[in-house]
Amino acid sequence: MKRELLLPLWFWLFVAYLFVPLGIMALMGFRDGNFVAFPIQTWTSQWYLGIVEDADLIASLTVSGQVAIYSTAMALAIGLPLGMFVARLRGLWRAVLMVAVILPAFLPVIVSAIALRMFMGNVGLSPGIAAMSLGHAIGSVPFVVFMVLTRIGAMGPNLANAARDLGADEAIVFVRITLPFLAPALVGAFLFCVLLSFEDFARSFFLGGFDSTFPVLIFARLRFGFDPGVAAASTVVLVASMAIGLLAESYVRQRGLRA
Amino acid sequence: MKLLVRARAWEPWRRMIDALSARPHLRIALLAVVPIAWVLFANLAPLAQMGAISFMARYPLPPGMEIEWTAANYLAFAERPLYFNAYIRSFVFASLVTLLTLLVVFPVAWYVAKVAPRSVRLRFLLILIAPFWVSEIVRSVAWILVLSNRGAMNVTLMALGVIEAPLPMLYTNVSLTVGVLYVTALYMLLPLYAAFEKINDELIQAAADLGAGPMARLRRIILPLARDGIVTGCTLVFLLAIGLFALPQLLGGPDNTLFAATIGAVFAKADDAWPLGAAQSVILIVGALGWVGAFALLVPRIRTRSA
Repeated sequence: MKRELLLPLWFWLFVAYLFVPLGIMALMGFRDGNFVAFPIQTWTSQWYLGIVEDADLIASLTVSGQVAIYSTAMALAIGLPLGMFVARLRGLWRAVLMVAVILPAFLPVIVSAIALRMFMGNVGLSPGIAAMSLGHAIGSVPFVVFMVLTRIGAMGPNLANAARDLGADEAIVFVRITLPFLAPALVGAFLFCVLLSFEDFARSFFLGGFDSTFPVLIFARLRFGFDPGVAAASTVVLVASMAIGLLAESYVRQRGLRA
Repeated sequence: MKLLVRARAWEPWRRMIDALSARPHLRIALLAVVPIAWVLFANLAPLAQMGAISFMARYPLPPGMEIEWTAANYLAFAERPLYFNAYIRSFVFASLVTLLTLLVVFPVAWYVAKVAPRSVRLRFLLILIAPFWVSEIVRSVAWILVLSNRGAMNVTLMALGVIEAPLPMLYTNVSLTVGVLYVTALYMLLPLYAAFEKINDELIQAAADLGAGPMARLRRIILPLARDGIVTGCTLVFLLAIGLFALPQLLGGPDNTLFAATIGAVFAKADDAWPLGAAQSVILIVGALGWVGAFALLVPRIRTRSA
C-alpha cells in the first residue's frame, strides 16, 4: 500500500470506531423483540414511539433537564464575575487563584463526587435535585471561567475606558460594554454547561438520592437486564446532545472565540 | 438601559456607583467577594472536610459523641490487599490506557492538523468531537451492543465464518480498554491538535531537505515541539481514566475492579464507612497528582533557541 494513504486510512478507521457503535445502537432500537441481540430479523418502531409512555424515563429526563438549567444558571452567575476578576489579576495571585478555580476540572471525578456527597449535609442539602445542581455547577464553573477569560483577553481595557471618558458610570459600562462583548462566550458557555450537566454520571449518582437523572437511570437498567428500549432512548438523547454540541460549537466558532 | 440612566436620579444608587467609579480598588474588591467566597466554599471546603473526615473514627457523628481521631482508615489501605491491589491495578491500567490513547490518537491528530486539506480541517475536527458530547453511559450502551455474545461483532464474525462460537469480549480487559479509549480519545486529541497546528511546516520541510528521514523528523522536530501538548493530553487522559466510575462497572469484568469502583462501593454499603472512603479518596488524589506531576517533570524539555 502507498504510504501517503496510511494516515487518511487511520483517520477514517478512527472515525468508524467512533460512529459505528452509535449507528448499531440506533439500529437496535428498531428490533422487534424483548432482548437486545443480533441479527435483527423483524423491525418495529414501538421502542422509539414507546419512549413517551415510559414514565420513569420521562421523569429522569425531566430531572436531568431541571438540573442542567439550575446548574448552568449558577455556573454562569459565578463564572462570569470569577472570570472578570481573574482577568484583572497578574502574576502570582492570578496563578494561585487559577489553580484553585480549575481544581474541580482536574480532580478524578469520583473523588470530587464523594467529597461533595459528604459536604452537602453541612450546607443543609440532602441528596436530590438541589444537591445535584450545586454539584454540577461546581464542575462547570472552570469551563465558564476559561471561556470568559479567552473573550476578555480579546477585549482589552480601551472600550470600557472610552465609555467611562464619555460619562458612563460603572453600571452602564458593565451592561452596555462588557456584557454585550462577552455575550457570545456566555451563550457558548451556557450550551456547554447544559451538555456537561446532562452527561454527568458520577456526581448525579452520589448526589441524586431518589431523583435519577437520565444517565443514572440507564446505568441502573444496564445492570439489571435491558430491552431495545434502552437503545432507542439512548439514541434519541444522543441525537439531541450532538445537536446542542454542534450549535454551541458553531456559535463559538463563528465569532472567532476559539484560540 | 434607560432604567440605568434614570437610576442615577436616585441618590443612594448614584452615590454607590460614583464611589465605585472613583475607586478602582473598591471595584476590584467588590468583584472579588463572590469569586473568592465560591472558590473557598465550593472548591476547597469539600476537600478540606474530606481530609478531616479521613482521620475520624466515625462520621457522621452520632449525637453527643466526641470526635475521635485515628489513622486506622489509612492503615486499612496498607493492610487489606483488596484495596491495595485495586489501587495498583488502577494506576497500571490508567497508565497503559494513556499510552494507548497517545499511540492511537497521535496519527489522527497529525492527519487533521497537518495533512488533511486545509478547507476540510475544521469539519474533520467537528466529526471527531461530536461523539464526545454524549454521556459516558450512552456510549457504554453502544459498546455493550457491539461486544456482547449476541452483539454485532460476534454475529458478524460468525456469519463470515471467522469463528464458530461467540468470543467472550464483553466484561473483559478488551471491552474495558476499547470503551475507555472511546472516552479518553478527545482529551488527547484536542491538546495534540493544538500543538501540531502551531508547528511550522517549513521546519519539517527544512529537516527533510537536509536529509532527515521520517523517524528523525518525528524524534528531532515534531516530538520536542509538541512536548507540551503531549504532556497536557497525557495528564488529562490519566486523571480521567483513574477516576472513571461507571464505565468499568458496565464494560469491565468482576475480576478487574478498579480503585474508583472500590471507593464507590464503600459509600454504597449500609453501614456508614465514610471515613474509610474519604481516606481512600485522599490516597487516590495524592497518588494521581504525584504521578502526573512526576511525569510532567520527567519528560525532557527542549531548549528553544530563539528563532
